[in-house]
Amino acid sequence: MSMQHAELPKSEFPEQTADLLEKPESRLKEMWESLCEDKAALTGLFVILFLVLVALFGPLIMPYDPNLSNMTKSFIWPNSEHWFGTDQLGRDIFSRVIAGTRISLTVGLSAVAISLTIGVVLGSIAGYRGGKVDTVIMRFMDMMLAIPSILLAIAFMAALGKGLDKAVIAIGFVSIPEYARIVRGCILSVKENDYVQAARVIGNKSSRIIFKHILPNVLSSIVVRATLGISTAVLDTAALGFLGLGVQPPAAEWGDMLGRARGFVFTAPYTLIFPGIAITLTVLAFNLLGDGLRDALDPKLRKN
Amino acid sequence: MKKRTRLLSFVLAAVIACAGLTACSGSKGSTASGSALASGTKSRAQDTLIYAQGADPRGLDPALVDDGESAKIMVNIYEGLLKYDKDSTKVEPGLAESWDVSDDGLTYTFHLRKGVKFQDGTDFNADAVKFNIERQLPPKVTEDMGYASFVYGSVKSVEVVDQYTVKINMKAACTPFLNNLAMCLGAPIVSPKALQDNNNNVNEHPCGTGPYKFVSWTKGQNVVLTRNDNYWGTKAVTKNVIFKFIKDNSARVVALNNGEADIIDGIDATVVSQIESAGNKIYEAPGMNINYMAYNTTKAPFDDAKVRTAISQAVNVPELVKSLYQGYADAATSILPTFMPGYDAGIKQAAYDVEAAKSTLAKAGVKSVHMITYSNPRPYNTANGQALAEAVQGYLSKVGVKATIDAYDWTTYKEKVKAGDYDICFYGWTGDNGDPDNFMNLLADKDPTMNVARYNNPDFKALIDKGVATPAGDERNKIYTELEKIAAKDAVWLPISHGKTLCGYRSNVKDFYYHMTGVVFLSGVSKG
Amino acid sequence: MFKYIVKRILMLIPVLLGVSIIVFLIMRVFSPDPAPIVLGQHATIEDANAWRAANGLDKPLYIQFVDFLKGALTGDLGTSYYTKTPVTQEIFSRFPATIELALAAIILASVFGIFIGIISAVKKNSIIDHAGMLLALVGVSMPIFWLGILLIILFAGVWHILPSGGRIDPLLQPVVSSGFYIYDTIVSGDTEALADALRHLILPAAALGMYSMAIITRMTRSSMLETMSQDYIRTARAKGISENRVVTHHALRNAMIPVTTVIGLQLGSLLGGAVLTETVFSWPGIGNYTVECILKSDFPVVQGVVLLIAFIFVLINLVVDIVYALIDPRIKFSKKEG
Repeated sequence: MSMQHAELPKSEFPEQTADLLEKPESRLKEMWESLCEDKAALTGLFVILFLVLVALFGPLIMPYDPNLSNMTKSFIWPNSEHWFGTDQLGRDIFSRVIAGTRISLTVGLSAVAISLTIGVVLGSIAGYRGGKVDTVIMRFMDMMLAIPSILLAIAFMAALGKGLDKAVIAIGFVSIPEYARIVRGCILSVKENDYVQAARVIGNKSSRIIFKHILPNVLSSIVVRATLGISTAVLDTAALGFLGLGVQPPAAEWGDMLGRARGFVFTAPYTLIFPGIAITLTVLAFNLLGDGLRDALDPKLRKN
Repeated sequence: MKKRTRLLSFVLAAVIACAGLTACSGSKGSTASGSALASGTKSRAQDTLIYAQGADPRGLDPALVDDGESAKIMVNIYEGLLKYDKDSTKVEPGLAESWDVSDDGLTYTFHLRKGVKFQDGTDFNADAVKFNIERQLPPKVTEDMGYASFVYGSVKSVEVVDQYTVKINMKAACTPFLNNLAMCLGAPIVSPKALQDNNNNVNEHPCGTGPYKFVSWTKGQNVVLTRNDNYWGTKAVTKNVIFKFIKDNSARVVALNNGEADIIDGIDATVVSQIESAGNKIYEAPGMNINYMAYNTTKAPFDDAKVRTAISQAVNVPELVKSLYQGYADAATSILPTFMPGYDAGIKQAAYDVEAAKSTLAKAGVKSVHMITYSNPRPYNTANGQALAEAVQGYLSKVGVKATIDAYDWTTYKEKVKAGDYDICFYGWTGDNGDPDNFMNLLADKDPTMNVARYNNPDFKALIDKGVATPAGDERNKIYTELEKIAAKDAVWLPISHGKTLCGYRSNVKDFYYHMTGVVFLSGVSKG
Repeated sequence: MFKYIVKRILMLIPVLLGVSIIVFLIMRVFSPDPAPIVLGQHATIEDANAWRAANGLDKPLYIQFVDFLKGALTGDLGTSYYTKTPVTQEIFSRFPATIELALAAIILASVFGIFIGIISAVKKNSIIDHAGMLLALVGVSMPIFWLGILLIILFAGVWHILPSGGRIDPLLQPVVSSGFYIYDTIVSGDTEALADALRHLILPAAALGMYSMAIITRMTRSSMLETMSQDYIRTARAKGISENRVVTHHALRNAMIPVTTVIGLQLGSLLGGAVLTETVFSWPGIGNYTVECILKSDFPVVQGVVLLIAFIFVLINLVVDIVYALIDPRIKFSKKEG
């Protein structure tokens, strides 16, 4: 190629080639150390830990069955019995918000796991092999990026039908290109490094080179992206739920709760407030942590 | 390179400065506009009614659309040969002044009103009627004319006797036919010239004989109508009507209370106090619909009427309806709405009885059921099928039955219903013509997407056929009461509710009413 | 440079072709049958079959696709199943609304984002800085639709100072030539309608622009901080130039380079966010409409809209790349040129 592909500005991922020459293990350790100094990131981390605990032990804390309707108790304002009030079907909103934590975190983590796995594989192949393979893979990623991800996810859900598993697939699928791009970009910059060249000269297999030498080096940027990716996935899940395309009833999903509360904003505003706060808090926590990780990764920002 | 950078940053700075200016003028404009609106549009506001509904019409050609949002607009533009009485579904003269039906019920002769003109200036006459009906008969009918076979399915041919007399020959006696001709879909008469000019599709160029004529349709925003000054009858009181589209229910309430709309529909009872405390009024209209739960009668265990009855006994319908619809719907005791001929207050479904339900279900060994439902709100179930299914799920858990729910959007749902893999499904029906056959026939239809309970009872079917051919009157009504009794005894459906229509309107709006067929006639409505 | 642009434009063709294939497959292979929704509650199975045949849905998939492509190349995207109106007409009656909303959102986001970002950078670690950064954080974390509903409740429901939704008071009926109301009302000199259109624009633009504003704020801040630590800024300060002048004349200009790119990229992502904003605000744009059409399986409309959005999206990306390349001397188009 006579022309270099004009890379999009890596505004979120500052140049890191010099940095990458360090040992990956020490880099992660260093990241962790500088993270511990970052109050905002620590707050995010603690909130996430809290949410994970809620998700794991939710059933033990829930005062009521979150899914069982009880028509005699519909629309009760928040009180000592029902801290967040009850919804139209008489279900305790506090219990539903707790139950929703597990759903949102599950979808968030699994969706990221899907996009991460496929994205890393595609990105590695594209970046390492280069040439036609690279062109084909990256053009396909461009196609997916050209469709707004929410529209693509909506179309997937409309085609697949409602359900937790399907939401995971839809959301996971639409964010594959982001990971593929990052991994490819990192690999392109690592590939020419001496130790990789050396490994190649010694005659290591490509897959071995990718897994042994290259991936550990791009790991830190992937970790950052994945953390921020969870927050995006949680938001996307909520958006699908809000549009009535999320989980199967009676599952308590925050966005779905918001979508249903929409008709009662003036008569029962509490049905709208708590799930919204839950979403914002979760997304905020992952954003804080992701930002902290990114700052920790970038020595230039660390100095500031 | 350096020069270019500087130039670009300069351009950028200029763009940002402009942006800032626009934003500033924007906020300035907003503070000033409050007063500007009040003075400038006041006179226009006086003679314009703004009616806010949930969605765009699908189109404005009565033969090509099937939805209520379109119907509400179309009844103000078009008229049919007959029309409904203000408070019931009895038919009255419309564009036909009178009519005769032969004794065998096979020939209908209509005597048309004279001197009526379409809004494009052409004459309304027997040829126009023939043109409109034949448009929806084979061979001209197209597959997307959703109501053609329903309204005119029993018509054999149309003859023009003279300029103002039309004879319709039937294939078989069909008592509901007169009611069909008063419908707002399929039956309204469109200007033949408009149809010819627009390639047989007047979805965006409607032209009828009604009190209002079409001005414009801005997609996603509004349809504007203005008074037809050549109208043959009493001319419209208010000069302009605007149908405005606001999807969200609570946003419509805000629009009413903010004065952005004069009348809104499709609200629920939770907002009544909010509307009334803002000084606005509520109109409540009965609905010609039924919201029900159906058992799959072809599949064990629900092929057994006892099990069906037991499940019906487990659900406290009045309580459910009260909480779920908040007064937006009446608990149903029968399939037919209460104002329909053939309705009998004596009909009762299986009464709420937890203990009886428990023991029957335990004996039959029913521990779990598979329910399917729809996730969109429907006209007969504004709370949507999902919430309804969840509510029933709660009741079933109290009698030891675990229900699983699969919810689908409406399109997919219809496919699932057709496939038949369910124990219980949720469905509903919006009446078309105000005739009891239109409802009761659902339990005799061969098509499983109509007869979702897949109920097959030859005696029931025989009675249905008898009802269609029997002339209107007490004898016919008794047939439908009998049909109701059979359905209740067999517990084929659990009728849940008849959805009502609640409208909110501003206190200066006079003579507003909402017809039970789901339409609004605005020509008599004024704004004080 | 010219060669590069031509090459990039040529690369759009396979991308758009690929996008149409993806959408075509999702809709026609996996999506539910449109017939029940199109035909209504009286349709029988035979009616549905007849309708499918009449609309070519019984043909093999590749023939359907070729038919679609043939049409698309001649500018004919077919007819909406549901409304029987040409797809191009349906799209262009709604498209200006979305563009107007997206532009308003990006303008709001840029103005406030850059402003807050600069202040935060200049007053680093002050209360203003912390408040600004908190706002930026919450801005990226709030679901757009939730924010929208909260705005409606407050500004329209409780305070009654702004309209709850829609684009303009229907009583005003402005003269519409382009479909962009702000432009149309300015051209026709209808100040009353202009003011009303702006009033309607504020809440949805704020809800939609919130996310972008947060991103722009953060970008501006970090970019400013980086620039301010550069040697030439120190030199300028040492020369005794006032701090204000240093910021506005020296730092700002260079700090804006990456911010421009972010703004461009955000404009593309706003098209996605518009889907949710339009739903909440009854905004008569393309996003809301597309979701409805996806749920109704109105294949021709969905295909048309996605193709159009993809086209705009890749075009924006292309422009952003070119602009970025122009203003950032570090990017080279070819070894020779550099």
